[in-house]
Amino acid sequence: MCRGKAVVPAGLAKRGPAMNDRLLLGRSIETGSWVHKLDPRSKLIGMLLYVAAILLSRSWPAMALLAVFSVVVAVSTRIPLQYYLKAAKPLRYLMLFIFIVQLLTVKEGAALLTIGSFSLHEAGLRLGAFAVIRTFLLVAFTALLTFTTTPARLNQGLEGILSPLRFIGFSPGRFTLMVSLALRFIPTILDEVQIVLKAQASRGADLSELPFKEKGRMLVTLLVPVIAGAFRRAQDLVYSMEARGFRMDAPRSRYHRLRWGWADTFFIAMFIMLGIAAAIL
Amino acid sequence: MNERDRKGHSAEHGPDAIVLKDVSFGYDPENPILHGLSLRIPQGQWVSLVGESGSGKSTLVKLLNALLPKSAGEITVCGEKLSEESILSIRRTIGMVFQNPDNQFVGETVEEDILFGLEGLCLSREEMDRRLRLYAGKLGISGLLAKHPGELSGGQKQRVAIVSILAMEPGVVIFDEASSMLDEESRNGLLDILRDMHAEGYTILMITHDADEILASQRVLALCGGGLAGDMTPAELFRSPGLMEECRLHAPYAWELSRKLEALGLAIGVPASEKELVETLWPFNCSK
Repeated sequence: MCRGKAVVPAGLAKRGPAMNDRLLLGRSIETGSWVHKLDPRSKLIGMLLYVAAILLSRSWPAMALLAVFSVVVAVSTRIPLQYYLKAAKPLRYLMLFIFIVQLLTVKEGAALLTIGSFSLHEAGLRLGAFAVIRTFLLVAFTALLTFTTTPARLNQGLEGILSPLRFIGFSPGRFTLMVSLALRFIPTILDEVQIVLKAQASRGADLSELPFKEKGRMLVTLLVPVIAGAFRRAQDLVYSMEARGFRMDAPRSRYHRLRWGWADTFFIAMFIMLGIAAAIL
Repeated sequence: MNERDRKGHSAEHGPDAIVLKDVSFGYDPENPILHGLSLRIPQGQWVSLVGESGSGKSTLVKLLNALLPKSAGEITVCGEKLSEESILSIRRTIGMVFQNPDNQFVGETVEEDILFGLEGLCLSREEMDRRLRLYAGKLGISGLLAKHPGELSGGQKQRVAIVSILAMEPGVVIFDEASSMLDEESRNGLLDILRDMHAEGYTILMITHDADEILASQRVLALCGGGLAGDMTPAELFRSPGLMEECRLHAPYAWELSRKLEALGLAIGVPASEKELVETLWPFNCSK
């Protein structure tokens, strides 16, 4: 499975299997760029500031600034731009839906087209386009975070950012372990589903050949063995962790330490400037 | 630190690595899986634990590092009595390699998985780096450190699981049917690793159904019906057809052949492997 695997982008090496292309999100792509070398905490904060900048952008110049900024930063990661485009591709129908809803429901501004009682307005077109641009930029650009950071580093950064919450009794270590194990189990559960599907197909119950209603019924029967298998694997993983002396919230040293440098401060400053500019424009 | 000086290590069979006194366990107190089990395993010994499925082998090894709580009795590991306070220390003394390597990986890469245990020991970065390079090099996985565990073969995965345990420098290593999901080549590779570990002074406790692995070990403990049905050498086990049947075991080829040659008047002893069998028989071929 591809999650969490550092890969080399197309053009630099042979492409991975088709399954990898479909699960681009959450996969790190190693190119050794300056963004890759940043502290994961600065990247996480940067992405939060980017979301704020998107929400503050309410004009065409602000949208243009966001787009130019995003392309420049994305290019500087040395990851081919089509990877970012692919990250947003699964949401294309959702974006189309948002655009159509805005176009049909907003009745402000000059009427662009009127057929009887039905009319399309300038504000509907503008707000629909803004919503699509915002969603596209949000999904495509924030993929930078997972493209340039391995899941382990991302977790370490998240733990670092959440560490002040220790004072109110929140355990960042517990939270990030939960997130990383949940992500680790996605391919495991997919494997488990494949095993059960193949076992059922070998006994003559091939899911792909069943009518829709039967398919639904069959998927429900899949749940029990898949969940039972996932629990069994989870139990084995817990044994493996405990056998290696793991105990929640016990002190641990770190092989990869977080280091905040001038580049991290510059990275954050870029996003603050972007937010201010987007709000002014 | 010298490998032989580590806690629980000694090439000579000296003090006990594991001591069990009247240990019992059962999910249901009415039907205990293990009852009144007592045994001693000296440091540096290579022990095979055999028995049919459901005889309590995996349960026994899980009791040793408190992955399961014992119902009664006393467990001592390298002189330390197992209690709530000593669990962490004992888990660092006993390393466990499980049957399915796929379910053991915590890290996203081989390196991260090996580091998972080392970070828990609160070691310095330099020490972690030293152990990572040393043990990955020893087991020939240095080139795999950056790989995702999903990219590895079964044998490579099991090597990674072993390195992640050995890097913690435990005194005792338990293998819970660690070769059962491997092909023959990987199984032979694992057997070579076990021989090297034994030569280095590790105490090895290995649950197995594989006759060649049993033959390579020094001592066999046979579990049956929740108790110890036999405590003997591999040769003694293979001479006990009743116990072999009870434990669902078959004698290894090298053993069977040596028995047949002995019946024909050619005593060659008990070779530990097919390779040793060939080496033993070769002089007879040359003297013809």
